[in-house]
Amino acid sequence: MAKKSNGTGVYEVVWPRGERRQALRPLAKRLDTLEGKTIAQLWDYLFFGDEVFSQLEESLRAQYPDVKFVSWREFGSTHAVNEKELLASLPQRFKELGVDAAISSMAC
Amino acid sequence: MGQAAATSVGLGMPNMPVAMIPGHPGAQSLEELRANVRNVTAQQVMENLLRQPEEPVLGAEPEARDIVFSGTFEEVNAHFYGREWSDGLPIVPPTLEKIEEFLSYTDRPPDECLGVLLPESRAATIWATAVNGVMAGCRPEYMPILVALIEAMVDPTYGVEHSGNTPGSETLIVLNGPIIKDLKFNYTQGVMRDGFMPNTSVGRFWRLALRNMAGFLLHKNDKGTFGNTFRVVLAENEDAIAKMGWVPNSVDMGFKAGDNTVTISRMTGGGVMPSVTGSTPEQMMPYLADGVAKQNGWETAFTVGALTIGTLRPVLVLSPILAETMARCGWSKDDVKRYLFEHARTPASRIETMMEKWVDFRIGSLERQVNLGRLPKVFHESNDPNRMVPIVVDPDDFVILVSGDPLRTNAYAFAQNGYLGFPTAKKIQLPKDWRERIQKT
Repeated sequence: MAKKSNGTGVYEVVWPRGERRQALRPLAKRLDTLEGKTIAQLWDYLFFGDEVFSQLEESLRAQYPDVKFVSWREFGSTHAVNEKELLASLPQRFKELGVDAAISSMAC
Repeated sequence: MGQAAATSVGLGMPNMPVAMIPGHPGAQSLEELRANVRNVTAQQVMENLLRQPEEPVLGAEPEARDIVFSGTFEEVNAHFYGREWSDGLPIVPPTLEKIEEFLSYTDRPPDECLGVLLPESRAATIWATAVNGVMAGCRPEYMPILVALIEAMVDPTYGVEHSGNTPGSETLIVLNGPIIKDLKFNYTQGVMRDGFMPNTSVGRFWRLALRNMAGFLLHKNDKGTFGNTFRVVLAENEDAIAKMGWVPNSVDMGFKAGDNTVTISRMTGGGVMPSVTGSTPEQMMPYLADGVAKQNGWETAFTVGALTIGTLRPVLVLSPILAETMARCGWSKDDVKRYLFEHARTPASRIETMMEKWVDFRIGSLERQVNLGRLPKVFHESNDPNRMVPIVVDPDDFVILVSGDPLRTNAYAFAQNGYLGFPTAKKIQLPKDWRERIQKT
């Protein structure tokens, strides 16, 4: 049992968490339109994401006929044993592929 | 959605926009899924791509030594429980005096950061380790073990960021070395049951550390569907191991026999194999191989490429009398592993059906994986769908431990969570005056 902090039955305690080391990161500027833009698809190969992306493509194209997509097949699974390396490579890959925005799925 | 919201804070992007699919894709027909994406998700995705989220502001947090509350034992516990800093059992109030006692059992500075822990990206300090050790009901002299556990927790090989995954796997801590006896860990009968202070409190510490130091909270980013309570520490019976001429787990993990080590690995489940009968390994092993294979079902996804290739590390715990019987017949641990590789098998069609249809971790087929060079040929030696294939890619992927009641012929098999909690070991660093101080306690 812990010693009482001041001998009066009162415990003075600290909090059990560590210092937050991740500062806020500004989000990328949103697009003014999807028309003519290139959107990357990132998938962890779970929960029918292939079907979801297929339907998303159809729905987005219905509204923005000139929107382009870079398939999840281009990047491989984002939830595999090499996921750290894959995520680290994305900024360069996006530049090479002319990506304007990305959709990442599937969370659960 | 709760997980995405909670996790994005730790990644520095609490305003990260998220689109939702109603329900769960796995419980919908393709037609239902497509309709949900079309009618709900697509609209949210478009809005998320086009509308700039508001800039967030994170609230201030206390410094490590700030007194955050003063009160009676009951009041402190209510305060901690209300802020999700405890697991629901009473905690020992972490006072500065008590924390200093713990810090006296390490030569490392209290503010040393062992690493940064996801999902909340918090500094894993020696200080926070001591705080959570106090809370868990550990004794101060357990501190060297607690530090080694946090060193293992921050090791990228382990993958602590996966600790809130939906299977709700729970870490098994294996302890080796003379520290087992120094601190009076139970390493015999009932080794995995609560009842011995060191085994139990160090096991509880692990989960409190996941909660407070890493930030895994139920209903937020700990998404275990059912979950488990923490596992108490499994200490190996090194007396029995030495007597039979085997090596302890610490040697298998790359250390010397006699080193004090912790090994962590996440287990999806486990089960006992009681009344193993036989006076030779050949008589005993069929039952054990059957049990190990049955325990590891969907987890073969970590072997065959559905999630990864070859990261499954199933565990077989042998009671000393079983291991001694095998050793007396000239069998080593490697012989046990080799037997398991050859006999703890499952029909190829079962793996393929499970991956393709039951859990939707698609691999095509085992033949395809072999043809692509991802799996060894043993996974496709014929086209017979009922051919038996291994559950791991290498005999050395099996982990063999010796502990439990020395005279009961029972064994225990754990299914393991692959790279989402991969076996990771650390040497326990003792303070300079350890021997002198431990003799006084």
